[in-house]
Amino acid sequence: MGVVTQLPAEKRQSLKAVVKSDSTDQALFVRTSEEDIAGWNRQRIVDALLRETFVDRDTAEKISRDVEKTILHGAVKTVTGPLIRELVNAKLLEMGLEEARRMHTRLGVPLYDVHQLLLQHNKENANVPHGPEATNLTLAEGIKKEYALLHVFTPEVADAHLSGDLHLHDLGFIDRPYCSGQSLEYIKKFGLNLPHALSMAAPAKHAEVLLAHMIKFAAALQSHFAGAIGWDAVNLFYAPYLEELDDKAVFQLAQMLIYEFSQQAVARGGQAIFSDINIYWEVPKHFENVPAIGPGGVYTGKTYGEYAKQAQRFAWALFEVYKGGDAAGRPFFFPKPLVHITEKLFQTEGHQAFLEHICEVASLKGNTYFVFDRGETAKISECCRLSFKLEASDIEDAKQPWRMRYSALQNVTINLPRLAYRAEGDDTRLFTLLTEHIKLACTAHEQKKKFIEKLLALGKGGPLAMLAMDLDGQSYLRLHKCSFLIGMVGLNELVRVHLGQELHDSEKAIKFGLKVIAHMNIVCNKLAEELGMKFVLEQTPAESTTYRFAKLDLAHFPEAAAKVVQGNRESGEIYYTNSTLFNVGSEMNPIRRVEQEGLFHPLIEAGSITHIWLGESQPDKTALADFVVKTFRHTHNDQIAFSPEFTSCLACGKTSRGLSDKCPYCQSENVDGITRITGYFTKVSSWNKGKLGELHDRYRNDQRFTSCAN
Amino acid sequence: MTLFTKLDCRLCEQLKAKFDLAALQVKVEVLDNHDAGALAHLAWHGLVDTARKSLPVLVLDDCSTVADYATIEHHLADAARQRGVYYQGATDQAPLCEGGSCAMN
Repeated sequence: MGVVTQLPAEKRQSLKAVVKSDSTDQALFVRTSEEDIAGWNRQRIVDALLRETFVDRDTAEKISRDVEKTILHGAVKTVTGPLIRELVNAKLLEMGLEEARRMHTRLGVPLYDVHQLLLQHNKENANVPHGPEATNLTLAEGIKKEYALLHVFTPEVADAHLSGDLHLHDLGFIDRPYCSGQSLEYIKKFGLNLPHALSMAAPAKHAEVLLAHMIKFAAALQSHFAGAIGWDAVNLFYAPYLEELDDKAVFQLAQMLIYEFSQQAVARGGQAIFSDINIYWEVPKHFENVPAIGPGGVYTGKTYGEYAKQAQRFAWALFEVYKGGDAAGRPFFFPKPLVHITEKLFQTEGHQAFLEHICEVASLKGNTYFVFDRGETAKISECCRLSFKLEASDIEDAKQPWRMRYSALQNVTINLPRLAYRAEGDDTRLFTLLTEHIKLACTAHEQKKKFIEKLLALGKGGPLAMLAMDLDGQSYLRLHKCSFLIGMVGLNELVRVHLGQELHDSEKAIKFGLKVIAHMNIVCNKLAEELGMKFVLEQTPAESTTYRFAKLDLAHFPEAAAKVVQGNRESGEIYYTNSTLFNVGSEMNPIRRVEQEGLFHPLIEAGSITHIWLGESQPDKTALADFVVKTFRHTHNDQIAFSPEFTSCLACGKTSRGLSDKCPYCQSENVDGITRITGYFTKVSSWNKGKLGELHDRYRNDQRFTSCAN
Repeated sequence: MTLFTKLDCRLCEQLKAKFDLAALQVKVEVLDNHDAGALAHLAWHGLVDTARKSLPVLVLDDCSTVADYATIEHHLADAARQRGVYYQGATDQAPLCEGGSCAMN
């Protein structure tokens, strides 16, 4: 990026000499984008216009002369590349050459913005701390975002994003897929053998080395995906490495795994890896007869079905570590443990004790995610609620588990309340608008796919070399298996605008909400068939999107939006209710919430969740276990998580239950809150305004589970 | 009662041929690529996953559900007898669905 500089006098003199022959202005010099000081050369404008746009030479010459005149008449002492470009762009606009102006745009960040970014915490993602690495990340993301909106997506799609009709997630990571779910078997079989790495590691022979490989591979994957990095059946795939270890050593390994992931705040942008570990108490049916890979990448001669006990030992130990929390007793933010609740779990010895163990962790620290795989369903879960349901071909892949690699390429979220404002109570108009916006989201997916394909086509010499590596005969990123996510924000507010009731108010409201999501499901399926891409609905985590949409709608639809936007408008802590969730503040019995929100889940195939906010309460483990079993047996809910709240004292270092302004131990006011923001725990001080508004409104189920236990 | 069906579902067609569903006041919901209302109704009864496994599915007046073909036929036959509506005799054995067409896509 070029910047304005005032050169010292002696340097000016030498430059004057350099440009003496230039007839324009000997005092002019230009700081170019190549970090060089060059003499004024009008031809460079012509060259740039011919190289970057489709304008003809005569027009380019004319523009360059006009710009030269402007500079001379403006008595500018220092000319920079960005200034010249701005002047050229102004000329292009004057001449009505809009397309050329777009192509000639310079991507960059205003000086003021950089200053602000360096000093202030960017809260778009609460998982990004404030520091030089984070600033780098934000600046790079800013430029890539602009590039994406100008170059990857068509103006129609870009404008829809900018205006808030929809939200293209992770634009700053335009050159990567969204998230990735995989199996440890890949590194167990192939070792750590990454393109461009300085050394190559053979398959691990020891559990600790496998852990080191896993962490490094996760960090490498974080550099190639925008979001979550999930691992399937982690306790099972570790099992062949645990036979020689006693319980103490297994606990130590579990502790290392959790600490390594939770302390990776030194990776991309100082950001911890958004990591998920899928855990099973039982051996999933599709892995039962699969030959197990052991130390050195060698088959052990046993099947995974024979490693149930070792897998259980590790699962138990992992939750023992979660139960204790970190050195200050705080919950670990990552890796998130996702326990699959299946029919087979209940047929497996020790299941009740395990269920109570993970429920104790859920009550104490909130870590446990309960993922419900009913019937024959099998899936890999990750991110805040995303899951990849395994199809018949995936179950076939399970025979060679290293092949099980799943990715969502992009996530596009639709602003539902805005559709209701525009429909003005007319059903036909509402569903027509909804269809149009889903189509636009799918167009955005096609455009991102095309771009990623272009990068992947550069193969091992290209920027996505790691995703193109083909150690098992197919590229790491199996593009043909990728999902394309369509999310939604504010179903609750859409229904409120359209019917005058919120989802929790009546059956009529729920039924209408279901019709909206059913319509989305049907349109997605139709377009998937038509375009040969796997479009699936997901409850978008929408950590900042619920805030962004609400803010934009208050600006563009002030009258209508003012009636339904949630939060506190005076403080600016406003938001829409996330995805298909019910009003977070409605005083619903938790089982009713789980049941009614769960009605939507089977229509949202790429993942849904219901949050149960615990506040200060610490329910009995048996009460929670009972709740989990009821949820599995009697509802259609996809996933649930219980979220307690904590206060972390920055003065004495102690952690207390509930959110307080003061530390109950030392009375210091230097405290920070900790609770779940969307799908993960983090410090409240890093939350955006919208999420703070939501936190304030959340209904805490303080006494609900005590009575349940009784 | 509500009967959830699909157009190319052999078992659904067989039920429709055997019973005068309109006379039995059975509402027929066709799950296809156009009717969000039918799919939403199915979701309201918590039957999406059930319908993905097999169709037809019958929702009784007390909101309980039946997904087994023979039991559905039995319920419809009972209703027909009570109302004096003619129907073709129930099958002893549920017919097989060929090609997996008797399930929601």
